[in-house]
Amino acid sequence: MSTTHHGEDRVPVPPSDAQQFTTVCSYCSVGCGYRVFKWPQGQEGGPRSHQNALHTDFTKQQAERSGKWISPSMHSVVTEHDGRRYHVAVLPDSDCVVNNGNHSIRGGTHGSVLYGQDRPTADRLSYPLIYRGGNQLPTTWEEAIELGAHVIKTCLDTWGPDAIAMKFFDHGGGGGGFENNWAVGKFFFSGIGTQMASIHNRPAYNSEVFASGDAGVAALPSAYLDAELADTIFLIGANSYETQSIYFLEHMLPNLSGATMAKKQRLLPGEPHHPGKMIIVDPRRTSTVAIAESVAGKSNVLHLQINNGTDIALLNALSRIVYEQGWHDQAFVTNRTDNFDAFKAMNLTQDLNDAVRITGIAEAQLMQAATWIAKPKTETTRRRTITLYEKGLIWGLKNYENIASAVDLGLLTGNLGKPGTGCGRLGGHQEGYSRPAYPGKRPPVNVDEVAIKGGGSKVFWVAGCNPVGGTLNAQQFRLSLARRTTLVNQALDQTAGATTQEKAAAILKTVEEGGLFLIVQDIYPIETAKYAHLVLPAAQWGEMNLTSINGERRLRLYQKFMDAPGVAEPDWKIMAMMAKKIESLYRAEGKIDMASRFAGFDWKTDEEVFRAASVGVKGAQEDYGETTYAMLRTLGTNGVQTPVKEIAKGLPVGTTRLYENDGKFKFISASWPGFPSQVQQLMNDPRYPFWVNNGRANHGWQTLYDDARKPLVIGREPLPYVEIHPLDANTLGITNGDLIELFNPYGTVTAMAVMTDANRPGHVFMLFEHPRGWLNSLTTDYVDPATTIPYYKGTKAGIRKVGEMPGIKETVSFVPTNRV
Amino acid sequence: MSDLSRRNFFKLGAGIVGGACAASALTQIGQPSEAEARSTLATILPYPRTRLASLKELSVGKDLSRTYPDKFSPISLLKLGQKAINGVGPDQDIVAFSRYCTHMGGTLTYQSETGAYHCPLHYAMFDPAKGGLIVIGQATDNLPQLELEVDAKGDIYAIGVKGLIYGRQANILT
Repeated sequence: MSTTHHGEDRVPVPPSDAQQFTTVCSYCSVGCGYRVFKWPQGQEGGPRSHQNALHTDFTKQQAERSGKWISPSMHSVVTEHDGRRYHVAVLPDSDCVVNNGNHSIRGGTHGSVLYGQDRPTADRLSYPLIYRGGNQLPTTWEEAIELGAHVIKTCLDTWGPDAIAMKFFDHGGGGGGFENNWAVGKFFFSGIGTQMASIHNRPAYNSEVFASGDAGVAALPSAYLDAELADTIFLIGANSYETQSIYFLEHMLPNLSGATMAKKQRLLPGEPHHPGKMIIVDPRRTSTVAIAESVAGKSNVLHLQINNGTDIALLNALSRIVYEQGWHDQAFVTNRTDNFDAFKAMNLTQDLNDAVRITGIAEAQLMQAATWIAKPKTETTRRRTITLYEKGLIWGLKNYENIASAVDLGLLTGNLGKPGTGCGRLGGHQEGYSRPAYPGKRPPVNVDEVAIKGGGSKVFWVAGCNPVGGTLNAQQFRLSLARRTTLVNQALDQTAGATTQEKAAAILKTVEEGGLFLIVQDIYPIETAKYAHLVLPAAQWGEMNLTSINGERRLRLYQKFMDAPGVAEPDWKIMAMMAKKIESLYRAEGKIDMASRFAGFDWKTDEEVFRAASVGVKGAQEDYGETTYAMLRTLGTNGVQTPVKEIAKGLPVGTTRLYENDGKFKFISASWPGFPSQVQQLMNDPRYPFWVNNGRANHGWQTLYDDARKPLVIGREPLPYVEIHPLDANTLGITNGDLIELFNPYGTVTAMAVMTDANRPGHVFMLFEHPRGWLNSLTTDYVDPATTIPYYKGTKAGIRKVGEMPGIKETVSFVPTNRV
Repeated sequence: MSDLSRRNFFKLGAGIVGGACAASALTQIGQPSEAEARSTLATILPYPRTRLASLKELSVGKDLSRTYPDKFSPISLLKLGQKAINGVGPDQDIVAFSRYCTHMGGTLTYQSETGAYHCPLHYAMFDPAKGGLIVIGQATDNLPQLELEVDAKGDIYAIGVKGLIYGRQANILT
């Protein structure tokens, strides 16, 4: 009966002479520091402290929080290109100030997804694959690149740059970093010059926080230290215990518990201090709410259980209360901001009764929140509030004004550039963005609609994302991709034995008639790759050196410690191979202008790309100036917080928080717009009675690309789940573990029912990306016209029971997760 | 883990532990012949066979504190009142788990209101009815579960542990 996964009951320990590397988690924005130990298979350290690299006595039971325990999920055996096998242990670093030796379930299980031919990661892409006669068969880099280059070049020559569309990662951490991002941007923007570019999780090439940028506030202005010093932590649309776990556990909770009181008194003398309070805006009563209440006491936590899509009304109501109470920071508004009058005329006219009706939040709670955000501590001491928002706001209705209304409240209360304050993103991924400028305009073109579904582009290159499930309105995207790529398959099926040029000619003919040539570059054979004509194997975290910043702009070197599988290469190198081939084709034709657009990809090392990318971050929050890999090696897992101000004594000098002494900001007026027609139609149709919210959860990271290969995680979540209120479940005859179908005019998906009171009746929550059921099949095609950011978090659907799934419900837990 | 790596592990373990998987090592502790016969564990470690309690001492929803495989490893013995994964006893509802959280070693408590083990350090939860499955939290393994057997007299014995106990390199200290 047992299928519950358990690791081995013994792990090897690294010997004293094990190789050591420093790195950072490949997953979420928090960016915990890790140490990697590597030693040959067949060797092992002894159990006594002088016999192993952890200097730990393993003959004894360790105390809690020892920081020296190797969980089975932290260990692996890897095989290098020369066939030698090594033990690798990836352990959280106690010396890193981000995590203090702590780790999440996501980062703590890195060891279990290192590539191994005898492990669940055995299906890593190891060789390029090319479409041949109904199969995707292994081939050489030479053939793959030659075909890709010919097709891209002929399409570019025939139809111009916008014939080439792309959807690529743009982030830091695994699969990204400054190195890979720079090469991608140089290829598509300096080389191709396409506007049909889109970022991995959205249909266009946009910032998720255009409004914050327009207001003059960078996305990551504060330090994690500020959450330790704040009087109030204001979380909007974030379930931080589950999705920024270690930021929450190591920096927010110690403030709520009073553990940072001494630090507050030391760093901020001369003002009254108390353990922090927390406000959480979320339609769900999450584990974050329950834990915060447990730590701080219910009277110090305010959960604003907001109606889906109504954040602007809430935030403007809070601004209005603050202003009418006289709790705003007049000096900051006068000296550091512009455009207050427009803000006042729009945001501050939010009717409070309307706000209560729209948001579902009682007036007393609005007043309580405004008090905790802005009521001065004394006549002369302002309250320090840090506002941290994430996808609930970014992907809510509507992106531009959502962010604007949050930033406006931050400006009104002067909570920027001072210890214990800030107004920015928590972050999903880490950041590592550096690219030449995008050649398109604002608002950016909707690539899903124009290039893919609309047929505007002929080539589509996808890397580091899985849009057949991850993009909005995913079912229609998927069907379009299937239809258009099949036309190319059919053309290729007639070309057995043909040369690459003959194949390219056949492809050119079919894409003219509606076909789409698809290149997918990834580490795994993801669902989108099933439709591809070329599949290119990328190296990942640990298999190349890369650099990124975390949610407090902490720049570090993520060291290479093992070989990539087969002939897989870093993304920057793949872009360089393609660029060089296209360059040579143009040179052969004597088209020197075109050839020169694809020149300059001659980097030999990861660090050469890192240095080249520094021009793309000049003056930005990421600016790392003259920093080198050697400096970052010296700085280890603590790195340096960008922007780097100077290099002193051979090391970069960073910036703890932005805007301490500079910065002029602008209010961006915003008012709640009501729901768009797509959502209105669903709201008016009784066949779709349920609001469908969605998000990431504790165990998994994004599309579960790694997690699907972690027995621990996929054992916990073998299917995507939908949280449904017991009253709704009862009405529909549904119980825990039943397979249910959610449907609306945009698509259909199945998932496993989990009964919980976390959501209000009539509202369900689904895990947002799972390869066995994509929530986004249900999201509408609505995007904010100002930013082309989808309203991912709100759609409506009908629900019907499909049946029971024996063998699954018995092994999955239905204990509510929002309990302490 | 696959068979291949299991085989490698065996080879490695034999070399390092110095013959710990040999019968001579096993015979020193407990009653290995019965453990070998019954345990479903693939292991090289010489687990003792230790009496934890008798069926009569258990009542539904209240866990007993014991230690296994040695006095430095607290465990929880629990009768759930409903059939559980790997449950033993007449109702297949008796289970036992390490009391150390597989995140950072916090000492777990069983709460009958949730039916789960809770960690006070970072709020992990584990489901005893589902083999110690992690409900939520930052642990990197499900909760180590004890292999149990009940003899004809109604005595409950522990004969091994699935999964690595927090704070150890191997479940049996050397």
